[in-house]
Amino acid sequence: MTKLRAKPVLASVLGLGLAAAAPAQAQEPIEIGAIYILSGVVSTYGEFAQNGANLAVEEINENGGVLGRPLEITFEDSQLQAQTAIQAMRKLVYQDQVDVLMGLDSSGVATGVVPVVPELQTPFIITHAATPDATGKLCNEWTYRISVNINQNVKAAAIMADESGAQSWTTVGPDYAFGHQSWEFFQKYLSELNPEATFSGSPSFPSLGTEDFTPFINTVIDAQPDGVFLSIWGGDLVNFTRQATDLGFFEQDFEVIMSLGAATEVLHALGDQMPTGITVGTRYWYDGPENAVNDAFVKAYREAYGKVPSYNAQNAYAAVYAYKNAIEKAGSVDKAAIRKALSGMTFQAPMDEVHFRKGDNQAVVGPVYGVTAENPDEEIRKLEPMRIFDGASVTPPVSETGCKLGG
Amino acid sequence: MQTFVAALLNSLDLGILLFVIAVGLNIIFGVLNVINFAHGALYMLGAYCAYTAIGLLGLPFWLALVAAPLVVAAVAVVLERLMLHRIYDRSITDSLLLTFALLLIIDESVRWIWGTSIHIVDPPVGLRGTFTVFGAQHPVYSLFVMAMGVLVGVGLWLFFTRTRAGKVMRAAASDRKMSRLVGINVPLVFTGVFALGAGIAGLGGVVAAPMRAIGPAMGANIIVESFIVVVIGGLGSFPGAFLGALILGAIHGFGSRFLPDLNLVLPFIGMAVVLLLKPHGLMGRPAT
Repeated sequence: MTKLRAKPVLASVLGLGLAAAAPAQAQEPIEIGAIYILSGVVSTYGEFAQNGANLAVEEINENGGVLGRPLEITFEDSQLQAQTAIQAMRKLVYQDQVDVLMGLDSSGVATGVVPVVPELQTPFIITHAATPDATGKLCNEWTYRISVNINQNVKAAAIMADESGAQSWTTVGPDYAFGHQSWEFFQKYLSELNPEATFSGSPSFPSLGTEDFTPFINTVIDAQPDGVFLSIWGGDLVNFTRQATDLGFFEQDFEVIMSLGAATEVLHALGDQMPTGITVGTRYWYDGPENAVNDAFVKAYREAYGKVPSYNAQNAYAAVYAYKNAIEKAGSVDKAAIRKALSGMTFQAPMDEVHFRKGDNQAVVGPVYGVTAENPDEEIRKLEPMRIFDGASVTPPVSETGCKLGG
Repeated sequence: MQTFVAALLNSLDLGILLFVIAVGLNIIFGVLNVINFAHGALYMLGAYCAYTAIGLLGLPFWLALVAAPLVVAAVAVVLERLMLHRIYDRSITDSLLLTFALLLIIDESVRWIWGTSIHIVDPPVGLRGTFTVFGAQHPVYSLFVMAMGVLVGVGLWLFFTRTRAGKVMRAAASDRKMSRLVGINVPLVFTGVFALGAGIAGLGGVVAAPMRAIGPAMGANIIVESFIVVVIGGLGSFPGAFLGALILGAIHGFGSRFLPDLNLVLPFIGMAVVLLLKPHGLMGRPAT
């Protein structure tokens, strides 16, 4: 557990002299509870979220806090298990008495956690877990999601696939809900756009954590489809890409779309070994949105952490600002009032203008897709051309989500 | 033909890397009667040392190939002297608990020292690129992996049968009391065995580094596979590790290719079949 409260020491040392200039420090802090994966093999995602959230808290406190009160954030480790995450949330709400909650990196954890949120009677913003169920059939009035979900991500992939002109498609995806759902939605959305499209009857689903993808790579090369849709992510995608490069996968005649290929942790790991000319997606791209909030965020993030922000860092950063806006809109930290303020709220995040849709509490946001190209100015590939998908164009209507909130 | 050759080559380089990991596990079990849960973590440590040497310090791959296993062996000596040597006379479950704790300690230390991001290193010049055989394209580096596996296998066999140190280790393994009586410094031998097993795991890590993503997940992934290898081959058996590794390599290489829907369960089906027919593995002996 780590606590962060920006400059409390400084404030107390300088004491009275600065009290008037920094009224935020004098008041009881507003408490945020955050649950992320902070240990184990994929803790890099929790670290990104911590970086993003901490940066937002520091900025807000330096500018006088919210309603004159400073923010304080407490992180808990989900250990990538729903039970652990639920205990952590109960601890945050009942013991630490936090005002709001945010977090969650895994879809599996989210499906376990979301049904418990109403019991806690505390607003909760999901910033990473992408399962459609969290704002679909499991939705509830306390749970919001600020990040791009699987439907939005894959709808955009299907649009890219349709425009590529490729007709026959196959996939390689991780063998759990995310990989299978991604493929299912890809077929659904691409069929709607192009009824002629055909899909392989024997797609490949290597297990999560596969070290050697060679057999799956060879299967695709032998099948010679027109296009291949890859939903592998993280370290697995790094392994896949290197092994695929060795086997000439990227020199074949088929289109390659990686739904999470532009995640910065993957691009940083691969550097100039990331092939150019392939279509990659991500849920936020630092060099995409043209707005002042994004410029300031990327600059501050680089100064603080020496790297460009990943999508998970942006999501957590944006969630803290979403709460700031909701609290100011509600005029208090009353939990029910914040929840109501979030519903239907629109505010400016680095990625775009974010709107929490009434009806399922999903943010109407879109992913970014682009073609990898050499970039002499950065350690990582750039996207050129790049396309930021408008949330409205890739978000399925509430009636399709299975959410029965109404409103 | 092309499909078959590709699957065969793939089975071999998978299997041989697994052999290098599993044989260290078996040496440690065979002599110390310790099932080393931390073996995957030591393999990961070897890979991170290789990344430090090659990726961060710009040293040649060949230097890392020698130095990283020595660093891992040195870490193993410290762990053995501080902790492991105290539990040799206890039941095997105690050693499981202790080495599991070591696994957590090494994993978290690696995260603490190197952070959580994913890294890669390049194969050495001369082993980059691919070759084509019967129409199947395969990385040149995998030939080196196979050669290293054979070298480790033959080297260990010669060591245990032809050298004094190797024979002393085997003597200490078969009868600790008698070995002590004839003047063998058993604690020293045990330290050496643990360092040797760990050093081979570290070597596996360096060899794997240019073809695997180096990240906090790599230790956990390989340890499950190596346990399957020793269960199939037989715990403590040297040829068993080789056989088990090749079988598991083939399960992955051919299974993922021809039965992709079953790739998740095939290794466990293989393991279950062996356990049903030969509970101690194809070439194993009962645990004591």
